[in-house]
Amino acid sequence: MIICPHCQAENIEGTIFCEQCGKSLLAESGASAVSTQRLDKPTDDLGAKATWGTARFDEHATIVMHIHEAPYPIELKPAQETILGRVDSASGARPHIDLTPHGALQKGVSRIHAAIRRGDDTLTLVDLGSVNGTYLNGQRLVPNQPRVLRDGDEVRLGSLISHIYFK
Amino acid sequence: MAINQHLYTILGVPPDASPEEIKRAYRLGAQRFHPDANPHPGAAIQFREIASAYETLSNSARRAEYDRQRRSIADRRPYFTVHVTPSRRVVTLLDEPQVLYLLTEVAPGRPETKPREVVVNLTLIIDRSTSMKGARLDQVKAAAHHIIDNLNEADIISIVSFSDRAEVVVKATPVGRSERLTLKALVSTMQANGGTEIFKGLDQGFREIKKYLNKQHVNHMVLLTDGQTYGDEEACFALAEKSTQLGVAISGLGIGQDWNDVFLDKLTSRTGGTSTYIDSPKVVRKFLEEHVRNLSQAYAERVQFSVAPDADVILESAFKITPSPMPLPLDVQPIPIGALEYNRPVSVLLQFQLPRLTRDGARPMARLDVTGDIMAADLEDYKAINDVAIEVAANPPAESPPPSILNALGKLTLYRMQEKAQEAIARGDVAEATQKLNNLATRLLAGGQEELAAAARTEAMRVSQTHALSDEGSKMLKYGTRALLLPPPEEPAQQG
Repeated sequence: MIICPHCQAENIEGTIFCEQCGKSLLAESGASAVSTQRLDKPTDDLGAKATWGTARFDEHATIVMHIHEAPYPIELKPAQETILGRVDSASGARPHIDLTPHGALQKGVSRIHAAIRRGDDTLTLVDLGSVNGTYLNGQRLVPNQPRVLRDGDEVRLGSLISHIYFK
Repeated sequence: MAINQHLYTILGVPPDASPEEIKRAYRLGAQRFHPDANPHPGAAIQFREIASAYETLSNSARRAEYDRQRRSIADRRPYFTVHVTPSRRVVTLLDEPQVLYLLTEVAPGRPETKPREVVVNLTLIIDRSTSMKGARLDQVKAAAHHIIDNLNEADIISIVSFSDRAEVVVKATPVGRSERLTLKALVSTMQANGGTEIFKGLDQGFREIKKYLNKQHVNHMVLLTDGQTYGDEEACFALAEKSTQLGVAISGLGIGQDWNDVFLDKLTSRTGGTSTYIDSPKVVRKFLEEHVRNLSQAYAERVQFSVAPDADVILESAFKITPSPMPLPLDVQPIPIGALEYNRPVSVLLQFQLPRLTRDGARPMARLDVTGDIMAADLEDYKAINDVAIEVAANPPAESPPPSILNALGKLTLYRMQEKAQEAIARGDVAEATQKLNNLATRLLAGGQEELAAAARTEAMRVSQTHALSDEGSKMLKYGTRALLLPPPEEPAQQG
């Protein structure tokens, strides 16, 4: 039996791609693409306080994303779906927001890590099966289950911390 | 009648084998494939062949006569070869089942044989139900005109149209024996009206193609439809079986969103044909033109693939990767796989489940047997056999699977994910289906397939709300993930 390192599904011995999540079960060689390193330290204790800002996000609003220790915030008008991750030319992954300049690789951000999606007057955050997880106000998200984003929320991708404000 | 060149290969002995060796080989073959010992339908085929080879080779007079005839064949190079790449060379001695993949490639053995124009016996079966009215039927007519213009004089064409009844539009005729303009005029008279009863069309088409049936031709029916047929599916499958026995393949072109892809896949895969999804009538001509052109490129026709796993091994799936990706039926043996073209090998990815292994060393796991009619040599039922053995060891050396398998399997996994999502919906498991579609979207995005990823995401959302996929999204994901398996289009040839 092989336990998938990405989604913990059980696969029969000899399987090459996980039956559940479709990811490779081979030990990543890193020869071509730069793979996301599993972080040694559990990142649950990085402590974050739940906030209770507004969840209302109307059609003209924009997001300001303050990344911890970054010299400037990222401001954007979210599309129907905005993918956060890091660009990797070898795998062809093209997230909308590339966090490479903010140390994404060292901080365990996956190539396709999480997405911000628009709903009716709200935004949701969803983890896309990342290696090191997506945390909303310190709580780890279940992959592919969207959670509503509020003004002032702390969003952590692996160990890359950011705060999201609505404008 | 050419002699069967393969008796020694079938028994798995060299041509100078002693009578004792021949007897031993027969016993071994019977142990592996006798229907009492091995219920797999592919095994029964192998056992029949082994028994018949033994009948000749165990009789010294008949063997001497066979050897004499065999020696008279000057060039013994194979007409095609079956090359097998396993996902692992050495498997682990393990007290639990394990998966092993075999990538099987059938390639022409004498590609230098001058390609010659093969005579194509083609029947077009055209849906003219009410929904075809307008652009769809117009484009199909234009495509048929184009085909009539481009067939060779010796090629044979017939055209049948159907709604809730079938008519012969163009009677089976060699193109050179009639006026192309007249044939085209007949095509132009087709009017859209009525329902969709596919069996009536197939049946009428089958009558036409049979008039010029010949093993030296490529005999092929193409069904063009945009709708569902009700109640006559079983009759269609029975006709497909008859048609395969006579060496006629059926391909299907589904136009728009409303046709039944599961039905068309099942119908065509049983005959060695292909099924294709066309979302816009504008591309009908391009697809049909390419399809007919490929037919005349056949090096071998009526290629059949028989898989006989050893009794304790399970064949879990078979998927044709090239030239046209599609799942192959497991309940049909031998499996028809259509034509082998001069410049495109046929490759099939097989997934096996090995039993608990209790002994190390080499062991047989399956016999693959490919037969086909060689068009360039007028040779029927040419055969190539590959008896696959694996090595079992307690601590096999670490090895990564060959890139060819990784590449094919990585893409096939995406196809399987949409398939599993569809199965989950059929079971009513909405949560599972949504999860699978979301996972698929993530994998597609990671592979740079943004459009398909967006479609998967949209369908995931739709499934969680309406508990069903849209017809459009479901076909787009199915044929879109299938198309990922195609090799990237070749660069246009350099001039001069």
